[in-house]
Amino acid sequence: MNKKLYTILKKELKELFRDKKSLSMMLVIPILIPLLIIGMSALFNMQINKDVSEYNKIGFNYELNEVEKSIAENLEFEVVVKSDEELKEEYENGNLNLYVLKDGNNYTLNANDEDENLNFSLNLVNAYFASYKEYLQREYLSDKKINPDEVINLITVKENISSKENENYFSKYITTYGFLFIIMAITVSATYPATDTTAGEKERGTLETLLTFPIKARDIIIGKFLSVTVSSVITGLLSLVLFIISLNIAGSMFKIYEGVSLMLSIESIMYALIVIFAYSFLISGLCIAIASKSSSFKEAQSSLTPLTFISFFPGMIAFMIDISSSHLLSLVPFLNYTLLFEDITNKNVDILNIILMLLSTIIIISMVLFIIIKQYKSEKVLFSR
Amino acid sequence: MLEVTDLKKKFVKTDKKKRRTEFYADNGITFKAKEGEVIGILGPNGAGKTTLLRMIGGILEPTSGEVTFDSLGFKKNELEIKKNIAYLSGNTKIYNTLTCYELMRMCGEFYDVEASSLEKRIKNISKILNMEDFLYNKIGNLSTGQTQRVNIARCMVHDPKYYILDEATSGLDILSSQVIIDFIKEEKKKNKTILYSTHYMEEAENICDYVIMINKGVIIKEGTPDKVKKDTKTTNLRDAFFALIERNGEDYNE
Repeated sequence: MNKKLYTILKKELKELFRDKKSLSMMLVIPILIPLLIIGMSALFNMQINKDVSEYNKIGFNYELNEVEKSIAENLEFEVVVKSDEELKEEYENGNLNLYVLKDGNNYTLNANDEDENLNFSLNLVNAYFASYKEYLQREYLSDKKINPDEVINLITVKENISSKENENYFSKYITTYGFLFIIMAITVSATYPATDTTAGEKERGTLETLLTFPIKARDIIIGKFLSVTVSSVITGLLSLVLFIISLNIAGSMFKIYEGVSLMLSIESIMYALIVIFAYSFLISGLCIAIASKSSSFKEAQSSLTPLTFISFFPGMIAFMIDISSSHLLSLVPFLNYTLLFEDITNKNVDILNIILMLLSTIIIISMVLFIIIKQYKSEKVLFSR
Repeated sequence: MLEVTDLKKKFVKTDKKKRRTEFYADNGITFKAKEGEVIGILGPNGAGKTTLLRMIGGILEPTSGEVTFDSLGFKKNELEIKKNIAYLSGNTKIYNTLTCYELMRMCGEFYDVEASSLEKRIKNISKILNMEDFLYNKIGNLSTGQTQRVNIARCMVHDPKYYILDEATSGLDILSSQVIIDFIKEEKKKNKTILYSTHYMEEAENICDYVIMINKGVIIKEGTPDKVKKDTKTTNLRDAFFALIERNGEDYNE
């Protein structure tokens, strides 16, 4: 590193670490990661391990016979018997989770799909009717002197679904979202210092001072770029550390992760670090390029807002529609980082994908820096105010 | 020696209806500045003084014409030339989060001042400019006068041969302005070449050896202050300037 570039970097870092807003952007956003991991885990856990009392108040417009009462009791029903109108009113007042109206041999299950516990209530009532239906079928067949087991259990179906060791749906979900949040945290962390060091410097009038010094535009841009990268890397590393700690806390706190180790292996952590470093370099270069063309701090922030979304959405979409990594996709910026994080989660990293991602990142950064260095001396960039 | 030859700068202005109009902020400026000379660049706001000094300081690229310092041009020797220049304008802002010491050190490093002599220079300059009490204070916590002294200090740190001072006293109170005036007088004694732009004619008359009056991007008169006054049959540069623009048929009340 040449002496002047080092001096620029030193100056930029001093400004960065002495600015409260830049510091808070760098350090506060990662703190949200434990909240996200533990909060989401608690939510999943609550959904899965919902107490039966939250969805077992079932209304009937007829008196249950002894068999029905027994099934309802086994399924822990809280049975309410009332007239049609009264049941409707009770349901609307929130005193029932679901009510059953009988008309001859036809039963109608009534509820509103806005009820968050509806699926649980429906499953419970469907189980109840399945049991009752089987009882009636057995009774009917016995009356006809037919062994019910020969008819009802003509075929048997068993579930034999294998799952990878140490993996379950929730651990994969939480880990992938955690990694996506790290990407978002790095993006947000890069935008503020990039804006401050380019458009902010222009707005404060210090850029003109800087340009009077015998420094090459290349050194100015690279110095600024490296300082923003330092900020992004700090956020990325802090986010990763908090992410690993949060995963371990969540793993020991919630039943949904029982039998699963959420701890990332050393190999996974190394891969994650490579992705974090590469992404920090890319996003810092892009932020510097966009912000340096803006004439004011406000304009730069508006210009950078779409980048925050662009950085996050390809990953979200890839996760939602289950896109898998490939050599070609490893060259696509933004998507490649998310897919690699997903591979890290699945413990299925292809080294070639990492190499292609690094190659794509280096090419993009070089192009962006080359363009911005060329343009940096133009009056449109320097004196657009 | 500084030589400015037929310097032109064209800008394109876009109005509200997005119509583009070309205009010259400076149109054919030529002059020379010798060692130890204080050259005053005088003119009203919008005359083209700042653009001219930015081109001379290497911040803006001229549309045509040439600037040479000791026969060296910017195209091939930009960094070498800039090492010998100090540029200070009324709009020059410095880094509020740095201390005065850090700023001076940073400037010294930019100008390749040797580390061993840099410390001595910082201490010496801070003594000359009476900055010792606040040398390690952050610039953002200083008064306007103290900030201006820091600005002068960072210009002096590499002991430049040429000073470009653009409206350096603009917006300053009488005491802070005097710091700049005294600084110019001191540097002139050291045989430094100083370009000093201002729209305060009295100030220029007081310190400049030679004045160049600019209006609408062209030189309307140049010479020693006495010669300009004599030629325009006036007693001060302010009246001389008005006489010149009236002679050109312009209404200064416009």
